[in-house]
Amino acid sequence: MKLVLGGYAQGKCDYVKQKYDISENEVCHGETEDFECMPGKKVYDKLHLWLKRKMKQGDDIPALIETFLKENPSCIVICDEVGNGIVPIADDERAYREQVGRTLCRIANQAESVERVICGIAQKIK
Amino acid sequence: MLVVITGGSGSGKSAYAEEVLLALAGNRKEEINCYYLATMMVFGEEGRQKVAHHKKLREGKGFLTIEQPVDIGECQVKTDRSVALLECMSNLAANEMFREKQPKSIEEVTTKITTEIMELSRRLEHLVIVTNNVFEDGICYDRETMNYIKALGRMNRNLASAADVVTEVVAGIPVAVKGEQIL
Repeated sequence: MKLVLGGYAQGKCDYVKQKYDISENEVCHGETEDFECMPGKKVYDKLHLWLKRKMKQGDDIPALIETFLKENPSCIVICDEVGNGIVPIADDERAYREQVGRTLCRIANQAESVERVICGIAQKIK
Repeated sequence: MLVVITGGSGSGKSAYAEEVLLALAGNRKEEINCYYLATMMVFGEEGRQKVAHHKKLREGKGFLTIEQPVDIGECQVKTDRSVALLECMSNLAANEMFREKQPKSIEEVTTKITTEIMELSRRLEHLVIVTNNVFEDGICYDRETMNYIKALGRMNRNLASAADVVTEVVAGIPVAVKGEQIL
């Protein structure tokens, strides 16, 4: 598994497509698609938006993530960095950032490589 | 040479960028024009005082200040033996995008600024650009602001792709993103 993270609008998905020769129809999108869409795909993009949806539904996120890791050992996960700002006052927004951070730590721990994209350029941090 | 320097608020990226430009100018400071391209829109007395203060600080280092909050391609730099520090992309992008009642589209503002800066860069021996890492707070702002952030992200990517060196400054420490770091 590979993890690619970085800020909003930094070109993470474009970078992944180019570097790993991946086409758009091999990418799952976190804003609408669940992990069930993964068979036949190579990339799960916008994991932070999946997390936002699942938190709203009150799902057991750690359990879902563990299953995902087990079932997709060679996929590329892309996620926004959302934790480098003022900690929000609103409970749900605070919990969201915490959850994204914790999830990234879990996936990074499992991943054989972690890259951070800034200004469209990747830095290998693991 | 084109250098892009990014970082968060108060990361020390401006001070580092000044040092980088002076290092690129080398020991020829007397012979070359060292420009500071200031993009902040000045509002009110406080703003004017702030600008005057910073201008004075830079004059001590031999910088010639040009205030160019929009139309960065039109700034009057001498093309012979000139280097410049452009500070900063977040101001320039906002000034350009929201200069009229109807904001410019992401594509329009990205293309305009990228094209103008690339053209400006060809007129200079060295151009150092300061931008701002405003992409990591996870906040979903209103549509206009998200468009602005997206446009700034695209400009950063365009400039970084063309740049010889990209550096991120973290707590005053330069971290290499692309190329061989100047300092």
